Amino acid sequence: MKRFKSLMVGVLSAALAFTAVGCSSSSGGDAQVLNIYSWADNFDPDVIADFEQKFNVKVNYDVYGSNEEMLAKIQAGASGYDLIQPSDYMVATMIELGLLEEINKENVPNLKNIVSTFQTPPFDPGNKYSIVYTWGITGIAYNKNYVKEQPTSWNDLWKDEYKGRVILLNDPREVMGMALIKNGFSNSSTNKTELETAFADMKTLMPNVIAFDTDNIKQKMIAEEAWIGSVWSGDAAYIQAENANVDYVIPKEGATIWADTMAIPKGAKNKELAEKFINYLMDPEVSVKNYESIGYSNPNEQAYPLHSEEYRSNKMIFLDPADIARAEWLVDVGETLQEYDRYWTEMKSGR
Amino acid sequence: MKKRNNALTGFSWLMIVFLYLPIAILILYSFNESRINAVWNGFTWKWYISLFENRQVMQALTNSLTIGLISSILATVLGTAASIGIKHYSLRWRNVVNGLIYLPIVIPEIMLGLALLVLFSQMKMDLGKATLIMAHTTFSIPFVMVIISARLADMGKELEEAAQDLGATPWQTMRYVILPLIMPGIVAGFLMAFTLSLDDFIISFFVAGPNSTTLPLYIYGLVKRGVSPEVNALSTLLIVSTVLLVIVAELFRRKDSKTITY
Repeated sequence: MKRFKSLMVGVLSAALAFTAVGCSSSSGGDAQVLNIYSWADNFDPDVIADFEQKFNVKVNYDVYGSNEEMLAKIQAGASGYDLIQPSDYMVATMIELGLLEEINKENVPNLKNIVSTFQTPPFDPGNKYSIVYTWGITGIAYNKNYVKEQPTSWNDLWKDEYKGRVILLNDPREVMGMALIKNGFSNSSTNKTELETAFADMKTLMPNVIAFDTDNIKQKMIAEEAWIGSVWSGDAAYIQAENANVDYVIPKEGATIWADTMAIPKGAKNKELAEKFINYLMDPEVSVKNYESIGYSNPNEQAYPLHSEEYRSNKMIFLDPADIARAEWLVDVGETLQEYDRYWTEMKSGR
Repeated sequence: MKKRNNALTGFSWLMIVFLYLPIAILILYSFNESRINAVWNGFTWKWYISLFENRQVMQALTNSLTIGLISSILATVLGTAASIGIKHYSLRWRNVVNGLIYLPIVIPEIMLGLALLVLFSQMKMDLGKATLIMAHTTFSIPFVMVIISARLADMGKELEEAAQDLGATPWQTMRYVILPLIMPGIVAGFLMAFTLSLDDFIISFFVAGPNSTTLPLYIYGLVKRGVSPEVNALSTLLIVSTVLLVIVAELFRRKDSKTITY
């Protein structure tokens, strides 16, 4: 065992020596480094390049595929990241776990540009730890070739004629949330009977469901495999650009609103630089360039008049304020999450 | 063997189709004009071109190559030394040591990844390129050793003893007899280690940190945004380079059995 240990130590130190050499030779100059950990394609590359030039910094951009993955990494002590982009509910979890730094608002004067509703989201009222970056609403996307009448209610997914043609997000909170909203409850209900009602209702929808698929929902809608389904507004915009027959509506009962945020993980080495970057992204002109490139809704009010006509007239990106008012955030349901997961498993395995 | 068994031939082809159809489709759609994987709209190179203009892809590629190169050199040096050592010295627990060295090959990758992550955080090491290189070196060493040990076993002891009879010092024996003879194995081992490093996802997933996103990690991140032809193109490049590397490694590994004469 001793030999094995010394071999290990040898490997480690040899590798360290190697990388130390590799790093010092490659970095050159004394530019500050900003380490971003985010979703793929979440920034316009030019916007990052401009920031690097303007402030003489180097931006490293690493990607993750889910909030849980990011959380696991941060919890495992992946110190070194300066900016992360957790979604709404994950912000609440991370605040509770003490994993986020408070944002120093003096360094982020552009925060005032954000639409007021996003300045007081329930997961972080007052933007103490997070600032909304991209957002959207889960509504109904439908193909006009097969869905003749414009849907107005979640009820429409239950219609017999859409047998095997309804697509849903692959997420327990989103799907149960939809069924809860349809039945007039909160999408974050912790009431057992309400959950039971929603689940019973979901079971009757199952014959219509072609798939629970978040990753390929766009492809399935574009290829007309699915006719109608619960789709994020940003994805709906993407789908419509590829297949003009697809339209999008936010049902009258209401819908779930979500956001990905900008936040700074505890112990970030370049906190001020991260704040500088956050502030830069919220500059109206920068944000116009950035959001038109990535195709998401811009929460920046000051930027609205600067956006192109095309972007502004897209109702999946520039959502109607009345629709936003009907939308509801998913909030932490505590222990009840197990109930959601149990129903979810039952729903999927009972297919 | 003269009489061909048609059913068996058919079955073999079916197996080949079964194994390679998904990959063939993936490659085919990387040349698809349309953004969607569902419809064929005509041939194009544009996804490949846009890949090479994408800074993040290039960064991931550079990371993959740097990490692959350094870790495979380390794994080859350490693996070669260990193979020669194990062959030459009779350790008391030789079989146990042998077993321990090859064990990582069969340990589920996810365990190894987790174990390394725990180790690194216990040691308070920042995750990043350094931890990735160490992890890749660790899982590559056994593969290098398998290849080189096989080569050493083929070689026998005669040439070595002859060299020493003729007055060569141990160092000269090593430098002029052993190393040249096992060189094809060393090269094959190196290429194998490089391939493994280039392809690895699971272990990298655990130990990657700032500025160390490798190609497979980047592809995984992209898929969450929906499979686009760029993902297909990137995967195709990864598959093609992997296959080429493995072929070259295999050629080197075979070369030895022909060139060695006693």
